[in-house]
Amino acid sequence: MPLDRELLKGSIAVLILKLLSERDMYGYEIIQESLRRSDDAFEFKEGTLYPALHQLHKRGYLRSEWRTGESGKQRKYYSLTAVGRKAARRSEKEWFVFTKIVNAILSGANS
Amino acid sequence: MTHLDRILSQVISLAKLPGNRRRNEVAKELRTHLDDLAEDARSQGYDDDTAARIVRMRFGDPEEVAAAFISVYKPERLARRILQSTILMTVSTVAVVVVIGTVQSIAAVCTASSMVPTLRDISREVFGFTAIASGYCSLYAGERLFPASLPRALLPSVSFGLLLAVVFGWLIPQHAGMPLAAFTSAASGRLLQRVEIPFLWFAGTALPLLIAWALFGPLIPGWEFPWLVWFGVTVSCKALREIVRLFERAFVEDCA
Repeated sequence: MPLDRELLKGSIAVLILKLLSERDMYGYEIIQESLRRSDDAFEFKEGTLYPALHQLHKRGYLRSEWRTGESGKQRKYYSLTAVGRKAARRSEKEWFVFTKIVNAILSGANS
Repeated sequence: MTHLDRILSQVISLAKLPGNRRRNEVAKELRTHLDDLAEDARSQGYDDDTAARIVRMRFGDPEEVAAAFISVYKPERLARRILQSTILMTVSTVAVVVVIGTVQSIAAVCTASSMVPTLRDISREVFGFTAIASGYCSLYAGERLFPASLPRALLPSVSFGLLLAVVFGWLIPQHAGMPLAAFTSAASGRLLQRVEIPFLWFAGTALPLLIAWALFGPLIPGWEFPWLVWFGVTVSCKALREIVRLFERAFVEDCA
């Protein structure tokens, strides 16, 4: 089932922070990893990843550097800063609380 | 131009990224991504046309990507514009001080008169220097903000002129007329510099002073047409035109 674009947009920062908390990645790699982990369900317009990365970079959550990969291609790798690590932990917690609340409402837990 | 180039140039031209360095870096980053997408599609056996369609579909609408970049860099772009405007206004005011100071010194030497009265009134002269620089720069700002509409381009000059009238009327009520006439002269000088006819803009700097002289001359006994002010404003406008050209070379690409 195709997911709502706004829903995907809202969660993109959480995903970026989570993936980068595991290892340094470049844009295309972030997309590939998201698709792999979601069995191709997390499909969004890839160009919009970069403004999101730049926004997080501007907030001081990410640092970036150009590296030459195994293929010989230069790529811009992103990694988390110390502030970014804290933000990653916080956003992950917030996400779980948020989804728990939404799930509770959707399942009518207290009714 | 290839399909990938078209997508890239669309994003970069619409994204209004501040600074050439950042623009080049974003272009390089997006280009790598587009190449990866195309390579991925081709490795799955698609021909070039289909691969191009897949790239377009997966990358998304360039306008949408550009709009997202615009909102990310909006505060930085605004800060840069404020800084650049401050630089232009400061350099312009200094240039006007130098030009008018030189004109007055030459006039004093030629007429064997003293510069002392001018120096004594230097605080009032400062209003004149600022008025000339802001008259010229406000019209330039209008041209940049509304390149397609002259009436709209005049808006910043008109609003700023009214503001100056209030400020000068409050600070130097007896002497507000001349700086305001100089403001209008500089703005109309800039306005006529847009016309291709050489030296026509000399009339632009003269007209507001002529009107002021025609209106108030009869009321002030012995007041002659301010030739020296006109000459000073005209030379200042010439200097300011060169400064604006230098400014455009240094910054306009930067804030396009």
